[in-house]
Amino acid sequence: MLSYSIPQFDSFDIHATLFTDVENMKALLAQVAVLPFAMIDASTILSLEQLFCAVYKALIESKYNRLRTKNLNSECILSLSPTSNIAEAFRRFGIKEDTKNIVCLMVVEKSEQNVLEGVFKEQIEGREEELSDENLKATVSWDAIKKVSENNL
Amino acid sequence: MSGQILEAVSIYLTPNIPIEPISQGAEAVVFTTSVHPYEPKQESSETSNKYILKYRPPKKYRHPSIDKALTKHRTLSESRILAKLSQLPGLNVPKLIACDVYNGCIWIEFLGEELPNGNGFSSLKNFLWMSASDPHNKCVETVLEKVGRQIGLLHWNEYCHGDLTTSNVVLQQSDGVWEPYLIDFGLGSATTFVEDKGVDLYVLERAVDSTHSRYAVTYNEWLMRGYKAVYHEQSKKGENRLREVLKRFEEVRLRGRKRSMIG
Ligand SMILES: Nc1ncnc2c1ncn2[C@@H]1O[C@H](COP(=O)(O)O)[C@@H](O)[C@H]1O
Repeated sequence: MLSYSIPQFDSFDIHATLFTDVENMKALLAQVAVLPFAMIDASTILSLEQLFCAVYKALIESKYNRLRTKNLNSECILSLSPTSNIAEAFRRFGIKEDTKNIVCLMVVEKSEQNVLEGVFKEQIEGREEELSDENLKATVSWDAIKKVSENNL
Repeated sequence: MSGQILEAVSIYLTPNIPIEPISQGAEAVVFTTSVHPYEPKQESSETSNKYILKYRPPKKYRHPSIDKALTKHRTLSESRILAKLSQLPGLNVPKLIACDVYNGCIWIEFLGEELPNGNGFSSLKNFLWMSASDPHNKCVETVLEKVGRQIGLLHWNEYCHGDLTTSNVVLQQSDGVWEPYLIDFGLGSATTFVEDKGVDLYVLERAVDSTHSRYAVTYNEWLMRGYKAVYHEQSKKGENRLREVLKRFEEVRLRGRKRSMIG
C-alpha cells in the first residue's frame, strides 16, 4: 500500500493500492456508496501523477471551495474527470461490472489512522500489487483513456 | 516585496513549503520552491528540484467579491492557456503542475539555468547581453531564429502572448544546444485577430531595440526569419496569413511611431 501526505494538507493521510483480477465485483458494486474509500477502474489510470493530481485538486476544492460530492474519496473521482458532471465522472472512472483491476484510494484525517489497517483487503478479493507507474502501465487501457479524456480540457 | 504578501502566501502554503521570492510584477509575485505540490517526496533523489509558484495576491482597493472573481478568472485563464499550449507539438512552454484558482496560485515547471561566467539567469535578455562582445556569431543567430519559430508556431495556432519581451523567453540547454521557451502567459489569449499578432511582434521588436540597440536590426531579422519559416512551411494558406500579419505588423509599427512622436 502506498501512503503519503501532501505538504500543504498534512493533516490528511492518503492511502492507495492496486488490486488486480478482482473477483467480487458484483458485491463491490453493491457497496460503492458505503465503503469508506474510492474504487477507481484501473484501466483509466495511466500514472501516479494523474492520481496524485486528482487528490490535490479534491483537497483544494474541499478546503477553499466546497465539496461537490459526498466526501473526499468521491471528490477524488470527480477530480480525475475533465468535466464537472458528477454522474459522468463516476461512470467513466468508477468501477463497472466488467472492471478487472481496481485502484483503491482513501483520504483520511490523520487521527482516524488506526481504523485503517487492512481496510482495502477486507473488502476486495483480488491480488494486491504495488501501486507504481510500472504496474499502472500494465493495467491501463489506452482506449479507456481516450474515452475518458475525449472532452479535452 | 511587501511583508504582507509574503506572510499571506506563507500562511497559505504552511511551513512545509518554503519559498524564495524572485520577482514582483503589477499583478503577480513569483517564487521558487523545492517542494512539489502533490507528489510524494522522493527519498532517493539527491538533486534538489525547483518549481515556480506564481501568486496573485488580493488587491485591497477592489471589492472583495469582485477581487475574488477576477483572481479566479485570471488564474484559470493562465492555467488553461499553458495546458493547451503544452499540447501543441513543437511549442516550448513550461509545464503546468497545479493551480488553485480560489487563492490565485499556479505551480509551474522551473525552466532555465545560470549562464556561464556569471552572466546571470538564462533569459534571452541576459543571453544577448552575454553575447554582446560577439554579437554576430552563429549561436546567437540560431537561438534567435528558434525564438522566432516559437512565436510563429504560437501565432499559427491562433494564440498570442500579450507581453513578449526578451525576459519572457527563457533558454534551456538540451544536449548542449540552447532551446528557447516562452514563459508568462498572464496576458496570453486564444485569438484569431491579426491585430494581436501584429502587436506581439511589435512589442518584441521594441524590446530588442531598446535593450540591444546596436545589433537590433540584425537580431530582429533573425527573429523574423524563424517566424516566417513556420508560415512558409504551411503552403498557400500559410503565405496568405503571413502576408496579413506582416502587413498589420507594419501598421502597428507606424502607429507606434506616431504615438511616440506625439507624446
Ligand atoms: N517557468 C519559469 N522558469 C523560470 N523562471 C521563471 C518561470 N516563470 C517565471 N520565471 C521568472 O519570474 C519572472 C516573472 O515571471 P512572470 O510574472 O511569469 O513574468 C520571469 O521574468 C522569470 O525570471
